[in-house]
Amino acid sequence: MSAMLLNKEKWPEFVGKLTGKNVWAPQSDGTEMRFAPVGENEKVVLDYNNTRVPPKGALFPQTETMFKFEIGSDKVEEPPLDQEVVVLGLRPCDARAMTIVDKLFKWDIDDPYFVKRQEKTTLVGLACNEPGLNCFCTSVGGGPAATEGLDVIMADLGENYFVEALTDKGKALLDETRDLLEDADDDAQKQKEKLSGEAEDKIKRSVETEGVPEGLPGLWDDPLWPRVSASCLGCGTCTYLCPTCHCFDIQDETEGIDARRCRMWDSCMFSEYTLHTSGHNPRPTRKERTRNRINHKYSYYVDKFDVIACVGCGRCTNLCPVNIDIIEILRQVKEAL
Amino acid sequence: MDLELLRKTGAEVAARDDVKYLLGWKQGTYGYRVAPAFVENAAGAAELIFSPLCTANLATYLTLVEQLPVPRGEEPDTRKVALMVKGCDSRAVTQLLVEKGIERDEVVVIGCPCPGVVDPALLAEKYPETEEPAEMKWDGEDFLLIRNGEETKISRDELLAEKCRLCRYPNPVVSDEMLGEPVETWAPGEDKGVEEVEAKDVDSRLEYWMDQFDKCVRCYSCRNVCPLCYCQDCILDRLNPTWVNRSVNFSENTAFNIARAFHLAGRCIECGECERVCPANIPLGKINRKLARDVRDKYGFEPGVDPEAEPFQASYKPDDPEDFIL
Repeated sequence: MSAMLLNKEKWPEFVGKLTGKNVWAPQSDGTEMRFAPVGENEKVVLDYNNTRVPPKGALFPQTETMFKFEIGSDKVEEPPLDQEVVVLGLRPCDARAMTIVDKLFKWDIDDPYFVKRQEKTTLVGLACNEPGLNCFCTSVGGGPAATEGLDVIMADLGENYFVEALTDKGKALLDETRDLLEDADDDAQKQKEKLSGEAEDKIKRSVETEGVPEGLPGLWDDPLWPRVSASCLGCGTCTYLCPTCHCFDIQDETEGIDARRCRMWDSCMFSEYTLHTSGHNPRPTRKERTRNRINHKYSYYVDKFDVIACVGCGRCTNLCPVNIDIIEILRQVKEAL
Repeated sequence: MDLELLRKTGAEVAARDDVKYLLGWKQGTYGYRVAPAFVENAAGAAELIFSPLCTANLATYLTLVEQLPVPRGEEPDTRKVALMVKGCDSRAVTQLLVEKGIERDEVVVIGCPCPGVVDPALLAEKYPETEEPAEMKWDGEDFLLIRNGEETKISRDELLAEKCRLCRYPNPVVSDEMLGEPVETWAPGEDKGVEEVEAKDVDSRLEYWMDQFDKCVRCYSCRNVCPLCYCQDCILDRLNPTWVNRSVNFSENTAFNIARAFHLAGRCIECGECERVCPANIPLGKINRKLARDVRDKYGFEPGVDPEAEPFQASYKPDDPEDFIL
């Protein structure tokens, strides 16, 4: 589909045109960038590296109310999932992550919540010109200007954004804003490609994945696991901030006779995650949990869905309080193979 | 800090028959990161460091390590755990002793007099992190940053962590062995962070905390990193009854954060780890410091200073002030 340009001065107007929909975009709360619904006074910021919390919540919210009910009555109410959502300015790694969790949520049966949200959501990505310190997307099948999972890709060319629709949904969105866009010439196309090439060169860290998916199960009792997990705090930072982590728990919550069934993110790094009612825990220590996290991403998921469940966004490494570094773990895995 | 002395002492302690491992700090995998080191033998001590980047409070590992049932026919491992502590970290050890979370003969404490560590977020903001691991040293009154072979002198005021600015115990209050001479203490500055929030009226204070707790993702890194959050069965994990719902929203997040704050009143030793690790950047230190200040001002009690003290929340004196109780 044809490439277009959006002058940066017209950006607020572009966002304004989408107000009938629920627009999610990166915003600054003064200290941090995060994806949040755009209100009237909030300013969308596109000049950012990446948000700490990924935008996976657009399709898989941290807390999803599945239905509401009243204790002692047959009344059940399902919240409608008919709101159109536009996610603006997400990074290619985060969009690609959504295609990875897509396989799980549409595996044996379609997950209605994910599927309905996905149908109503348009993803407008922003290519990275300045990758972060721990970015390694190019090692795991992505790239700073990758388009997988996106409906529209944008790239910052300085004065203008390069804008290109990639799907029908994306085309429809650009049709609505057509009067703000102008056709991109070949120079713009070339500039975009040059910037994405430069961005790739700026990625400093990398992992070697060859032989890892097949080899990991054989390292079950390897001394690398106690070594890399000794300092783990057992918190949920790495998993909650991971754009491909998709585990959830389901709970009924009540307030008086009003009740709701919710599902919420869960983390395999928590001790209660695998805790049995009997008190037995098949993953009793942080060693087993860390091993599971790496195996799940780099072996089990590959086995089942033929793709590594890691997009190289670097969040787990950036934000681990005790410097547990997934790149270093994979280096040690390779060494042990 | 003399690195040679640190490593020599570390090697001696790690080699002891009655020591399981020594907890210290080592260079991290990139940039300014420092990782906890579990040193099991003398050779392992060669990687130990102590620098203004050593923010982590290692006392949390004393209670974090899972106690698995001992297999039939085997003896439990009763060896001690050795750990290196800064002043604030040593207060956590003391408080654990007061609460009988640990016994004195279970630990070997190596004290590291601490001139103050940097605020890692501030450091990375002002001097962007590089892929290559960087080093940092104390240089008189200043910090010395060494990255890619280049040395940069940075004034202490520019990068000193807030918890260190307010610190009154830079020298470990409990230790079996002290590395080097005690550092000179300094006058703690004003706690502007707490005072700013205190100065707000009730509505804007509520609004301030609503905005903060709204960001919480309930990863529980604050709880897990906290050396004094060591309940085996945390109230937050209970399902029957469910004290705090799993739903992540302002109301439940607030319940969680308030529960944690109150459970730490008179126990928090202000090591600032909760605030450092929070991926949502919630200024948790302000809550804990406010409670610590109230306990200090109103009851004259400071946790983690005297190993013989009675636990604050478990003690009562007839003349305890009560004029602020509703």
